[in-house]
Amino acid sequence: MRSLTDDEILESLRGEPAPLLPILHAFHDRDGYLSPEALKVISKGLRIPIADLYGTIDFYHHFSTGEGGHHQARVCTGPICCLKEGNQILEALRSQGATPMPCAGRCDDPVVVLKGNQALLGTSAENLQPRRSPLPPEAPTLEGFEECVFAHIRSPERSQFAGYRSTGGYNALEKACSQLSQEDLLSQVEASGLAGRGGAGFPTGSKWRAVFNAPGDPKSIVCNADEGEPGCFKDRALLDHDPHAVIEGMALAAYATGAERGFIYLRYEYPETYAILEQAINDAESNGFLGENILGKFNFKLYLRRGAGAYICGEEGSLLNSLEGKHPFPRNRPPFPVTHGFEDLPTVVNNVETLASVPPIVLKGADWYQCLGHDQNAGTKVISLSGDVNKPGNYEIPIGFPLMHLIQDWAGGTPSGKRVQAVTMAGLSGGFLAGEDLDVTLDEPCIRSKGSFLGAGGIMVFDETRDMVEIAHQAMEFFAEESCGKCFPCRIGTRRLSERLGGHAGPGELTQWLNEVEALGQTMKATSSCGLGIAAPLISDSLVKYFPEQVENHVKS
Amino acid sequence: MTPPTHLQNKQSDPDSKPQGQETLTLTLDGEEVTFFAGETIYEVAERHRKEVPTLCYDPRLEPFGACRLCVVELEGARNPVASCTTQAQPGMSIKTKTPAIEEHRKVLLEMVVSENDGIEVDPLRGYASQELSTLVDRYGADTGRFQGAQSGCSKFEDDNPFILRDYNKCISCYRCVRVCAEQEGDYAISIKGRGFETQITTEFDGLLKDSACTFCGQCVQTCPTGALADRKALRAEGQDGELQKTRTICTYCGVGCSVDLVTQEDRLVAVQPAMDGPANEGALCVKGQFAFDFVQNPDRLKKPLIRREDGELHEAEWEEALQRAADGFLKALDEHGRHSVYAIASGRAPSEAAYTLQKWIRSGFGTNYIDNCSRA
Ligand SMILES: Cc1cc2nc3c(=O)[nH]c(=O)nc-3n(C[C@H](O)[C@H](O)[C@H](O)COP(=O)(O)O)c2cc1C
Ligand code: SF4
Ligand code: SF4
Ligand code: SF4
Ligand code: FES
Ligand code: FES
Repeated sequence: MRSLTDDEILESLRGEPAPLLPILHAFHDRDGYLSPEALKVISKGLRIPIADLYGTIDFYHHFSTGEGGHHQARVCTGPICCLKEGNQILEALRSQGATPMPCAGRCDDPVVVLKGNQALLGTSAENLQPRRSPLPPEAPTLEGFEECVFAHIRSPERSQFAGYRSTGGYNALEKACSQLSQEDLLSQVEASGLAGRGGAGFPTGSKWRAVFNAPGDPKSIVCNADEGEPGCFKDRALLDHDPHAVIEGMALAAYATGAERGFIYLRYEYPETYAILEQAINDAESNGFLGENILGKFNFKLYLRRGAGAYICGEEGSLLNSLEGKHPFPRNRPPFPVTHGFEDLPTVVNNVETLASVPPIVLKGADWYQCLGHDQNAGTKVISLSGDVNKPGNYEIPIGFPLMHLIQDWAGGTPSGKRVQAVTMAGLSGGFLAGEDLDVTLDEPCIRSKGSFLGAGGIMVFDETRDMVEIAHQAMEFFAEESCGKCFPCRIGTRRLSERLGGHAGPGELTQWLNEVEALGQTMKATSSCGLGIAAPLISDSLVKYFPEQVENHVKS
Repeated sequence: MTPPTHLQNKQSDPDSKPQGQETLTLTLDGEEVTFFAGETIYEVAERHRKEVPTLCYDPRLEPFGACRLCVVELEGARNPVASCTTQAQPGMSIKTKTPAIEEHRKVLLEMVVSENDGIEVDPLRGYASQELSTLVDRYGADTGRFQGAQSGCSKFEDDNPFILRDYNKCISCYRCVRVCAEQEGDYAISIKGRGFETQITTEFDGLLKDSACTFCGQCVQTCPTGALADRKALRAEGQDGELQKTRTICTYCGVGCSVDLVTQEDRLVAVQPAMDGPANEGALCVKGQFAFDFVQNPDRLKKPLIRREDGELHEAEWEEALQRAADGFLKALDEHGRHSVYAIASGRAPSEAAYTLQKWIRSGFGTNYIDNCSRA
């Protein structure tokens, strides 16, 4: 096939909303890198100052400005791949220009290497192969509990339009359009107690209502599929194996709020998912569930956008700036996206899992969803479990389920039965839990009482043989590299903490070391501008709390 | 030289009410105070002389929220809020100076100092260049704490005659980038990389002269650390004599930008924009900012010159020179008619002189061939 000319690329995308990222990707794919000439053409075509464009593409991990850079391997050296052969594979491929990348969301199937637009998996540089991402493991039956978002995910063909339809797909949208007013739908989502599954846990119904009430058109629905948190890979499973559920959830959000356009912001590291979603959107559109006059009721145009490697672009303000083609710093809040979102208009930003929960809620009712949780808790949560467990993978649990029960009984415990030394919470953002605090139930009130949080539900397990200081150092290095650089406490604090955990700088005397680490953490937590800088010190705080001896040995040596 | 005063310049009477606005109230450090819709907490606090510290703030720019020094305690909020980016709301209860807040500010200053190779810089570097060191002194921040890698990489190879790019001293407040975009509209500089590796850059990391930069110097004058420095002013670094500032108006064009001439004994060493200049609010163009060397150039004419029969220029008295010019004009008029004369008034001439010139051309010669050089 003849490759597109500069003008053809610009012309085909310039008219769409949020055109910068797809245009950059089109040049990146075509040329194998972003050449100065390409940047000049784009700068002119989109009227973005060239200095801004140059600076902004440099923000993203995966845009290469050196010839052929797009095709050079990126090897995952995230916390889990590091426990496996990540570093060895990187070394083996280095001479061919391989570079490290942070967790690429495949911790249930390590090690992952990205080459061009393909994810390869393997345990050495020689056996790297593409393969479909793992399905969630079959969950044990639990009295009175059924899965919500994973209920049909293992049905064959569920990821295809026909398979989705034959397992009840789009029935919720049909039901809403024929039986429910916007008000009915909003009340139902509110009554279900569904809360955001992307980390912050904001009640979804209230968010939708705020957008419904906010003045300004067109409104937007943004599906946050950036999933950059290390140890989180649940959104990948949903999008790979049940993409229409997320699309249907978005359409329901659009119907409820009156939004006319939608975006899925997908992380760069999921190239296969991109193709699956592209197909799913086309199928949904040609079958009348997206686009104009959906079921005779409303219009909703859905666009797929691909990120380029930046954890912070999962933060909603940063994500919106990235979509708009701006430098992806988070935004100052308030105002919030519900009133000033995409292009400063009312916008729902919801996580993949949140959106996928909506169709079952519409079909089976708010009460049904409420009652899925353990004890007083509403609903379910997908936990991405990885690390030192026999059966890593995504598990949908009733909220309030005991952590050790999940690790020991569902995931088969640790290999060779070693003691669990620690787990991380919220991917890395919740820091560590260890010792007696492993005896928690998986719900926010319980986990917050230990100074951590459940967040997006990534849990990495480390057995008693692991060096916790080293794991903490890698975690802090991740935050330091992913800090956007906007605010002082995080930009400097993450670097200083990483230096101290890695032994590269800082006092050699324990009390002083602890004093500095604590002061940095306190000020970061109190004054950082977004969740990254607020959460990062949980790593150092919990390390000091649970592993004082390992810390002491580290400082002394 | 006095420390930056642009904030004080903007202060009005704390109790003055903007006209036609509803009076709203909030509690500030235990005292009920009034404010008007649209004000930020910082603006209210500033009006009440709370001396909230800032580093990324420039009253001319959109609040950005980078340095976090301006955080205050807001009742009901889980964390302190940045006062510069938070709108004041009726009924808020705010504390600007609790021990915890002051401690965070000190730690933030210690963090930011730790990323630089030093914070004492010559005031000649620029208008706001003392902001960081002044705050470090005010808070008694420990400059040896939090040691580690240093950020920013100076670009000394950019050998333009005006702006020194000493990013070893940069604290990534992005005031330069924002002033260039928001005030100057040039978008010549931007932000590259992220996190601690963030670096101020130009298109393709090149030299300023190959970028969209017009050398207006605004980035230099807003820089709170002297990382961007006035190269021409720095020629006087280390010379004897106290620095003095004299407020005047730039003589280059009709806009009337207010400037402070910085002098050392009888020498003009720098020009700095007046942040409270009504016409320019701290903006200048390359000429007003940097083109002042002519003032003390030894080649500058002090007497009129007349070209005599020998073909050479000779010094003369004004009487004779003016007579000579008048004769020339009359000769042209006689031989070629009234439209053979054409006058261009200097943009640097005051209005009175420009008026006189056009009067002279129009009624003296009877032609409308008169223009002004600052029409472009
Ligand atoms: C540093 C940072 C990274 C984030 N990354 C993600 C992400 O990858 N996916 C996500 O859904 N939410 C992420 N969030 C949370 C979003 O800002 C936002 O709260 C969420 O997308 C809202 O959707 P929900 O209400 O459905 O959870 C992140 C937040 C922060 C502070
Ligand atoms: S906390 Fe970190 S990631 Fe968030 S805005 Fe500040 S520097 Fe950026
Ligand atoms: S001198 Fe003026 S135009 Fe040049 S970078 Fe600085 S602010 Fe921008
Ligand atoms: S050069 Fe100066 S104004 Fe620009 S970001 Fe650095 S410290 Fe701030
Ligand atoms: S995929 Fe490598 S650590 Fe998550
Ligand atoms: S002055 Fe408010 S954050 Fe810098």
